[in-house]
Amino acid sequence: MRRRLIGLLALALLAAACTAGGGGSDKPAATVDPNANHAPLTLTVWSDFSARELGVVTAGLKMATQKYPWMTVKHVGSKNDQDIQRAVNGGTPPDVAISFTPDNAARYCDTGAWQDLNPYLQSSKVDKAKVWPEGVFSYTSFEGKQCALPMLTDAYGLYYNTDLLKKHGISAPPKTTAELADMAKKLTEYNPDGSIKVAGFMPLVGFYGSTTANTLSHAYGAKWYDENLKPTLTSDPNWTKMFTWQKAMVDAVGYDKLQRFAAKLGGANSEFSAQNGFETGKIAMMMDGEWRNAFIEGDKSKVNYATAPFPVDPDQPGLYGSGQIGGTIGGVPKGVKHPAESWLLLQFMTTDNTYLTTIAHGLKNVPSTFESLKDQQLQNDPRFKPFLDVFANQQSTFKPITPIGQTDTDLMNTFTQKWQAGKVPDLQAGLKQVEDQIAKQLQLG
Amino acid sequence: MATTAERPAAALEQASTAARRRRRRRAARHRQLVALAFMSPWIIGFCAFYVYPMISSLYFSFTKYDILSQPKWVGLANYRFMFTSDPLFWVAIRNTLWIIAIMVPLQVLFGIVTATVLTRIKRGLPFYRTVFFLPTMVPLVAAALGFIYILNPAGPVNRVLGVLHLPEPLWFVDPRWTKPGLTLIGLWGIGQVMIIFLASLLDVPRQLYEAAELEGARPWQQFRYVTLPMISPVIFFSVLIGMIQGFQYFTQAFVVSKAGDRTNEVGYPQDSLLFYTSRLYQQGFEGFHMGYAAAMSWVMFVVIMACTVGLIRTSRRWVHYQGGFR
Amino acid sequence: MSATTAAGAAARARRPVPPEIRRRRLLLSVANHSVAIALSIAFLLPFLFILATSLMTNQQALSPNIWPHPFVWSNYKTVFESFPFVRYTLNTVTYAGLATVGVLLSCVPVAYALSRLQWRGRQAAFILVLSTLMLPPQVTIVPLYVIFVRLGWIGSLKPLIIPLFFGDAFTIFLLRQFFMTIPQELSDAARVDGASELQILLRVIVPLAKPALAAVALFQFLYSWNDFFSPLLYAGNNPDSWTLAVALQQFTTLSRGVLWNLQMAASLLFMLPVIVIFFFAQKVFVEGVTLTGVKG
Repeated sequence: MRRRLIGLLALALLAAACTAGGGGSDKPAATVDPNANHAPLTLTVWSDFSARELGVVTAGLKMATQKYPWMTVKHVGSKNDQDIQRAVNGGTPPDVAISFTPDNAARYCDTGAWQDLNPYLQSSKVDKAKVWPEGVFSYTSFEGKQCALPMLTDAYGLYYNTDLLKKHGISAPPKTTAELADMAKKLTEYNPDGSIKVAGFMPLVGFYGSTTANTLSHAYGAKWYDENLKPTLTSDPNWTKMFTWQKAMVDAVGYDKLQRFAAKLGGANSEFSAQNGFETGKIAMMMDGEWRNAFIEGDKSKVNYATAPFPVDPDQPGLYGSGQIGGTIGGVPKGVKHPAESWLLLQFMTTDNTYLTTIAHGLKNVPSTFESLKDQQLQNDPRFKPFLDVFANQQSTFKPITPIGQTDTDLMNTFTQKWQAGKVPDLQAGLKQVEDQIAKQLQLG
Repeated sequence: MATTAERPAAALEQASTAARRRRRRRAARHRQLVALAFMSPWIIGFCAFYVYPMISSLYFSFTKYDILSQPKWVGLANYRFMFTSDPLFWVAIRNTLWIIAIMVPLQVLFGIVTATVLTRIKRGLPFYRTVFFLPTMVPLVAAALGFIYILNPAGPVNRVLGVLHLPEPLWFVDPRWTKPGLTLIGLWGIGQVMIIFLASLLDVPRQLYEAAELEGARPWQQFRYVTLPMISPVIFFSVLIGMIQGFQYFTQAFVVSKAGDRTNEVGYPQDSLLFYTSRLYQQGFEGFHMGYAAAMSWVMFVVIMACTVGLIRTSRRWVHYQGGFR
Repeated sequence: MSATTAAGAAARARRPVPPEIRRRRLLLSVANHSVAIALSIAFLLPFLFILATSLMTNQQALSPNIWPHPFVWSNYKTVFESFPFVRYTLNTVTYAGLATVGVLLSCVPVAYALSRLQWRGRQAAFILVLSTLMLPPQVTIVPLYVIFVRLGWIGSLKPLIIPLFFGDAFTIFLLRQFFMTIPQELSDAARVDGASELQILLRVIVPLAKPALAAVALFQFLYSWNDFFSPLLYAGNNPDSWTLAVALQQFTTLSRGVLWNLQMAASLLFMLPVIVIFFFAQKVFVEGVTLTGVKG
């Protein structure tokens, strides 16, 4: 009887909070007392995890039931952002949503597709600044609305095959992009018919998802937008430097040869399979996220490798040690049936130290809270530590998020594909065109 | 002169004519009601699933709408954006025109060619006809996936080409070859069009060929002056349907773009597969700009109508109907 | 065949055929058959490639081998295990089956009214029916999607099935054309006997229209089986409601590393029922397709 009363009270408070006009983002939201009894409830979590990673997170989520015995968590994988958005539109959203694409967070905040969590944080007396490092807020909030929270995070760096480097007389990984280009040439081996046997580095964008114009842009500190959200692709000279460097690496081997090599490796879809080029020793150096450590272990790959921060512009040596950061985010979609319980689960998933460190070990992801960052096991792993350092580096950022979500990266990717194929004779003109396209799409909103 | 005996008879006749007229009117009304009763499923469906949505989508096209919140009136902004600011609108139009100007004629041509081959076969016609028709039974998604594998840069077709020392294009990875790759899928499924042409070709009266041969016409001339005009209604029909379907081309392009990597943009690689409906889907159901998608759909409707009317008008000049009805 | 040609053919048959003409005819026949055979190989080859790949291991699928060794028949079992193939098949059968039933139930009376009843507005109604054929579905999908969201039907197959219980322009058109070929005398005779229109429809017209009904049912079943865009749109976010077409496409993107051998096995399983139906109902198909095209 008391359970039902508490539930009814929570609902009434929530109803009052909702109907009391919008925009009340500073009013505390109804929450569930974590220590009270509660009717058994199954909450659904949607994420884009699959295969091994799905298992790791599902196992971790069982800890929620240990903490709140009345809560059962059903975890559904392979749900990308469009699936979640469609469910929200259709009125049947999951209770908690996880996304790999923080680019969309601005749109979620803007349209309210994911609820603003500030009221919940206040009610639960969570001090954001004390729990999470400053960097995560750039990709989880937009214009004052905190519609997402990080559930672990990512950092990008350089993976290199120590056997192959030793074979070609290279003792240390490259620190500048010029060194990388040089070493890539040395490390590339060819078959008798001229096709690539081993690639020193895969500079093709559109192959593996970890190598895009965006991730490479961090090597040159190139900025996407200025404070007024106007694209700076032509005004920031670092873009031109980055693209020139990238194309030089493509041309050093040959675009056609690289495409055929990529196809032989199994195409873009082989990135997360055991046929991954780096894991099978066919690619000597690669940019990838810290999760690759877990995949190498999980796929039982025999590659001997080490990790380091990604090389940077020789003219900007201070950038070394930084890279792209930011990754998995979670939120409470609009229209969930049990917002208070959803928040409780999300709070668990984003702040509970045992949960975070357990799945951080399983996924080999960078922990997102100050507390979990202290975890010794990850700090002492020599192949993981470089990524923790990248995350801690003040110059590491995520791409600025905008209400058009991934459209800017999509437009940039299409341009890069044309550029690396040699279809863009004038780089500046091409970049100007992309700028215009992005600006125009921002108009539509 | 009307006698008292005749006047009641006339009155009776008048009365019965009136009664007959009333009965006829009632019968007509009864017939009308019966007909409407038979038509009722369609009438309801037409109003609910055609009339109302069309008006509604016209309204949406003047709004900014993302389903989560109320539509916001923006007047002609969507249309203005479409024609002046949409970065990929004209790309989508160009790609769609490629389908209509290149793929559709190729399909019609291949349909005629395969049907002609079958007309010359005397033995084993059912076998060949079955084989040629079989690929149309394959669901579009399965066909697309099958061809993605077959046209994989490291796949069977390229291996055969390599053995023959012919160039091996990268097919669905190379933007110059993606649409030809899709055309191959389209030609593979030519069976349905072929059957119609086959029936039509067999329908051409033999006398016409014999008369032409007597006048000394070579086979090519026979084809041009006898066959073509006689099958022109079917050519017209195929081109019309092909054109309408071409404007709506979506499934194969979507499957092919996303097959390489799910995170690929619709239209990958390099927007070579971004067709009009793909762009509509991208903006409407990935970007959730529903008002804009509605605007795009209305522009498409107007264009299809205009092209259909245009095609029908020009058809009067080159389509020859045997029965003479139209 | 006119009298002149019959006589001509008979005359030709009486004259012995000179050897050069016989040889030329044989060469022509060989040439025609070779082209037909070449085309047949071209049409059948993709099937063979797909079948071969479905029996390979995943490593082999992208290697230079065209022939699987060993033959991995268990791939088919794996397909059933790795994703709920049975449920997707059930969804597809439900959708296609109910769609066919709905279309037959609703279009037969409508086609009857448009072809065998005289009433005011008949011509206009027919033009309206035809006009919906010309209408691209994209114009109505956005509002229809919103309607179905408000009805709570998104994520189920209802948005696909229920509208088909209210008529389908293509089917109505086909049935109308066919009904018009049935002689009026049959209906008139029944009317004289005092039968109602419904009875005429059910007892006179429908039995005679069986070939057309079969063709129409087959077309609709096939169309629904292969349908991708609508199930993707309306049921795409709920895997429990996926049809095979959607599941197959999503399957590519599911395991983050396309397993081509399984993909091809699943594709073949998807194609199989339709091909089997085709073999058993070939005549109906060909006749039905001819019904659509030649009459213009």
